[in-house]
Amino acid sequence: MSTRMKPNKKVKASMCLMGLGQLMYGQVGKGLLYLGVLALGIAYFVFRGGADLVGLFTLGTREMDTWLGIEGDNSVVMLLMGILAVIALLLLAAVHISNVRDARETQRIVERGGRPAAFKEDAKQLLDKKFYKTVLFLPVLGVCVFNILPIIFMIAIAFTNYGGSIVPPKLVDWVGVDNFVQITTLSQFAPTFGRILSWNLIWAVCSTALNYFAGLGLALLLNKDCVKGKVFWRSFPILAYAVPGFITMLGFKFMFSYGGPINQLITAAGHRAVGFLDIDAKWIARFIGLGVNAWVSVPSIMLLATGILSNRDMSLMEAARIDGATPWQQFRRITLPFVLFSTTPVLLGQFIGNFNNFGVFYFLRGGLYIDGYFLASDTDLLINWLYNLSISNNYYNIGAAISLVIFLITSLISLIIYTRSASYKEEDTFR
Amino acid sequence: MKKKITALLMAGALCVGMLCGCGGESGQGESPKESGQGTNPGENAGGAVDLSNIYSGELEHNVTIRVLENDTAIEQGYFQELIDAFNEKYAEYGIVAVDANMDQYSNLADDGPYGYGPDVLYQANDVLMKYVEGKHIYPIPAESLECFPQITENAWNAYQANVNGVSYYMGVPVNVQSSMLYYRKDLLPEDWETTWDKDGNKVPDMVENWNDMYRYSQEIVAKNDGHYGYMRSLYDVYFSSGFLFSYGGYVFGDNNTNADDLGFSAGNAEIGANVLLQQAALMNEGCIDDSITVSAYSRLADGTYFATMTTPDVYTLFLKELKLAYQAEGMSEEEAAALAEENLVITEVPKLPASGDLAEEDPELIPLKAMGGVNGYAISAYTKSPNACLAFVEFATGYEMMLRRNQMLGIVPARSDVADAVGGVSEIMYHNLDAGNIVVMPSIRAVEQIWTPGQTFFEDLAKDAFRPETEKKYKTLEDIKNGLAAVDTQIYDAVHTLAGTN
Repeated sequence: MSTRMKPNKKVKASMCLMGLGQLMYGQVGKGLLYLGVLALGIAYFVFRGGADLVGLFTLGTREMDTWLGIEGDNSVVMLLMGILAVIALLLLAAVHISNVRDARETQRIVERGGRPAAFKEDAKQLLDKKFYKTVLFLPVLGVCVFNILPIIFMIAIAFTNYGGSIVPPKLVDWVGVDNFVQITTLSQFAPTFGRILSWNLIWAVCSTALNYFAGLGLALLLNKDCVKGKVFWRSFPILAYAVPGFITMLGFKFMFSYGGPINQLITAAGHRAVGFLDIDAKWIARFIGLGVNAWVSVPSIMLLATGILSNRDMSLMEAARIDGATPWQQFRRITLPFVLFSTTPVLLGQFIGNFNNFGVFYFLRGGLYIDGYFLASDTDLLINWLYNLSISNNYYNIGAAISLVIFLITSLISLIIYTRSASYKEEDTFR
Repeated sequence: MKKKITALLMAGALCVGMLCGCGGESGQGESPKESGQGTNPGENAGGAVDLSNIYSGELEHNVTIRVLENDTAIEQGYFQELIDAFNEKYAEYGIVAVDANMDQYSNLADDGPYGYGPDVLYQANDVLMKYVEGKHIYPIPAESLECFPQITENAWNAYQANVNGVSYYMGVPVNVQSSMLYYRKDLLPEDWETTWDKDGNKVPDMVENWNDMYRYSQEIVAKNDGHYGYMRSLYDVYFSSGFLFSYGGYVFGDNNTNADDLGFSAGNAEIGANVLLQQAALMNEGCIDDSITVSAYSRLADGTYFATMTTPDVYTLFLKELKLAYQAEGMSEEEAAALAEENLVITEVPKLPASGDLAEEDPELIPLKAMGGVNGYAISAYTKSPNACLAFVEFATGYEMMLRRNQMLGIVPARSDVADAVGGVSEIMYHNLDAGNIVVMPSIRAVEQIWTPGQTFFEDLAKDAFRPETEKKYKTLEDIKNGLAAVDTQIYDAVHTLAGTN
């Protein structure tokens, strides 16, 4: 067990001034590099970052007036740049910590009788032992700017009054949890939220199950020796997959419209046209939505399952057959657990994707507000309702708040399912 | 080593992938305020912005102005002709007008503050006027423009905004858009001049009033051979709301400026909705969704429909389909084109019965107040060259260019002298606007919220014509009134419910 080393004065110097300890150890290159980073950081905060940090709290104090030539503050940009300044501050802190660690490491080496590593040796390490740092530096920076920043920005928006008539050049303000209070206390919201959430859950479960088992079924069917022209048959679902989803959905909307080919066949046979997607078509429209979504999604599952099935241990199947297992028993006891194990994360992804499936009902049956629903229709999912409430109204703050609620619901469900799945519990089983 | 190279390549790819999302047109990113050219306006004693501080009257030299035009004008070559003529005239100043070519940046409110928007915009009044709230467009010294007296007050009103108690013109009207009736002259009864022209004005009665159109549609449908009289998808708020306006309905109160006062159910609007219900009974289920709208071109051409109602800018599409239909019957291209032009008639929309009863004999007639729009030019408040932009707008709204726009694009000009010169549909529509029979779309932001509630109601109303008697929802005028009141409530909710957070 190693005892904790007491930092010497050189390490303490590095704690006070980035790179100083390294310079004291004679590691000039490295020391100057750390000092350079510190200088850059200070320059950034003096000339820009400091004001950005302050702006993050105020979100602007002077409103722009283009007609009077007043160049005011842009709250949204200030919010964004403020978050960037916080990230920059954290990155600077991370570099400082690494500088202290490095100084301690050098102290350890020196106390054991070694000599401080030269700059060249450290540089070599970056291509050898610490190669992961070299490789990950730019991606981590990119992730901070292009992934983390927008996510934090969206979360921050949920706590402001940005939206409606408050958009730049008007100044945005922090409003705490007012947006969440509003969406939970509006009397019109609760009944609609309950109805849409229950349908949303039914939809997510049914569409995920339908897509999954239909895709698996197709893959198994096209895997059978008795099926001739497998490549030919496999190409059809792939073609459906290759067509952009919204084109497919608009195509289906036309097919099921009153003037579409299906109703033309029905009327030609002497029957009345059927309103497959009209205002009265609650459950018919829901079933059509399930079918259309399956049309779009099943091919990807089929391709995935085809790949996984090719790794099946056929000797297990053979043994099961010899032991007298029926094809259904073989599927239920061997094939399904095997495929399910490998595809649980994908299944979860499908579930989340279906839960937040904006396109299907937006394209098939958008533009309806049904009685009993507050600014929504009986086929709308939460994401569609969120769109009606926020985006088409430009209430970005409410949109961000509801997005957070949806995120909490979906992440909770995903987490529970995943941690209870064999894929998580028995990770090594099929390795 | 191979692994390292692979790892480096993958890391590089990840970075490139992330950077792909931030493509920008850096050349356009400069803040327009940085130059300080002509953008130092002040207010006068009355609180009104002194426009001479925005438009100094001195043209900026060697500047490029980016103009956002509509796609049709670009595709048909009108826009190129316009900018060529403008650039030639202002060559001595070095002013060059170019296609803004920025469809994706066409939302000035989002992109203007960052320097990405166009300098001059051509859009519908409801789109342009939403930019007033954030002062994203400049007021225009309309009275000083050559076109000012030539454009009807109703068109100018569409671009009038009240900011801090002062009224400004925010755009210059260019063309008028509203509903027109299209019909096939060769599908009229052979003896129409003796049996369908009661007033002897040589215009068939069925295209003059909805009662005769209803009677004629009944006759056609009664033959049960799959043909129809007047056909139109009724869910479309733009075309159906005019029936409500004709009987006292409106969108917003205080001349379409007060979003607290919703008026779809105001006055006797339910009578207008009942007219639609009567019309639906003589159509097929296609009137519930967009089926009729989509198929109208081919159905009018093959004679399935006698008439429909839509905007005048699609005239060429109807003409093309009819010509193709004639060619399919064996005519030469020239013969087909000539006959199509002769038989396809576009005229003003028929008059309505004051009682709302389409079966009434000799009804008192009232004009149909159709919803319409006025497209026009506006100047971005983020431009560096307001004087050059104003010069462009003045040039583009001059007599010559407006006439050319009409000739090339078939649009209805907002200028009376051009409308009178070209006559026909343009003259009819111009005078309808002048007479107040075109209800211009509201120019406030809340107008975005009227479409879905309105569409739902009209779809429900049209569907009611095909529901079994026991399931009908709109049996009485009171039922219809309640339905319209629900539309008002939904629009009010959409506009105001979430406004509380701001």
